Amino acid sequence: MDLVDLIDEKRFLGQEFLTWLWWKSEERGGSILLPERGDITVIFEKHMLLEYGEGDTSEKLVCSGLQSELQEARTGLQVGKKLEQARIQIVHAEQEYNFTLAAALMEFRSVKLPKTAGTEGGISNDPEETEGMILERIFLFEELIRFVNELFRLFLKIRVAEQWAEELEKIRSWVNSSVRSG
Amino acid sequence: MGFISGSASFVRFSVEGELPENIWDFIAERVAAFSFQDIDDTYDEFSIGWVSVINMFDSDFEYASYANGDYVTLTLRMDERKVSPAIIKKFCAKEEERLKKERQLPKIGKAMKMEIKERVQTELMRKAVPVPAVYDLCWNLAESTVLFFSTNKKAQAQLEDFFKETFGLLLMQQIPYLTAEHLLDEEENEQLPRIGPNIFV
Repeated sequence: MDLVDLIDEKRFLGQEFLTWLWWKSEERGGSILLPERGDITVIFEKHMLLEYGEGDTSEKLVCSGLQSELQEARTGLQVGKKLEQARIQIVHAEQEYNFTLAAALMEFRSVKLPKTAGTEGGISNDPEETEGMILERIFLFEELIRFVNELFRLFLKIRVAEQWAEELEKIRSWVNSSVRSG
Repeated sequence: MGFISGSASFVRFSVEGELPENIWDFIAERVAAFSFQDIDDTYDEFSIGWVSVINMFDSDFEYASYANGDYVTLTLRMDERKVSPAIIKKFCAKEEERLKKERQLPKIGKAMKMEIKERVQTELMRKAVPVPAVYDLCWNLAESTVLFFSTNKKAQAQLEDFFKETFGLLLMQQIPYLTAEHLLDEEENEQLPRIGPNIFV
């Protein structure tokens, strides 16, 4: 299958991951246990984009507000829309990453890296200092990707296993209950 | 902006194909051969090439400044002369009027109109200042992955073509399904093509 068909046919995978991640982050009040790292904090905030259908007939729903005000997005889930973009905060070892994940193509948008001494100085006249700053930024970008990939792996392992049926029931009852309570 | 400072947007690619053994010599030679050539003082319409991530006017890469540890960091720079269609239309009309008066013509024929348009377009293009666009990339040699700091589809397609031209290697965008193949073990990978979309309500 070529890439264009693959993007089209498997579009659901990234969107289901993002929806699962939202549920997973709320399951334990923002904490998710990563097998080799321990607990990390994953918070969905401010901005979400849901879509329904594909191509010319697709509908989009943009929701923004504080975490507690994302009721509209949950209502969107209940009518079968899928989560396509979300603004997420990941915190681990006091380092805070903020980014928007666009699910279908796994694009990282408006990524804000943790503030560190090495990256705050800007471009220096000293080539060694500049190289150090660049390497530190690369490390932080890749660290963010590792977090997202580890979360994605957590989802995938369940998604391809029999366990998924049980997990899906939990997500469905979360979607439905949040609508009722809203 | 983005890669070096401030907030960034990026997508991931995997690099498909083998690099020769003397990796750094190969990269040095290819980057030099495909470095950016300025067109400010020429009449060329388009130029594409590699420049330093620190300075878009640096295409000499003194001390191999693209090498950062096991990473290659480069900026893809594209300069293009552009003239808006409205400007072309305006100057064509102006030239047609001038010729009508000068040659006492009641009407300008189709062939002449074409000739005027071509001439006006060339003249305006020569006067236009090339518009630059820069996109950063970071190539992890150990893992054969590239971070490209733009979500613009046209820029991504240009990167794929130019990366192939420069290094003879293919870039494959890491959409969720392809990332999934890397993250799962063999047994789980057999299940992956079988799953279809679910409804979450």
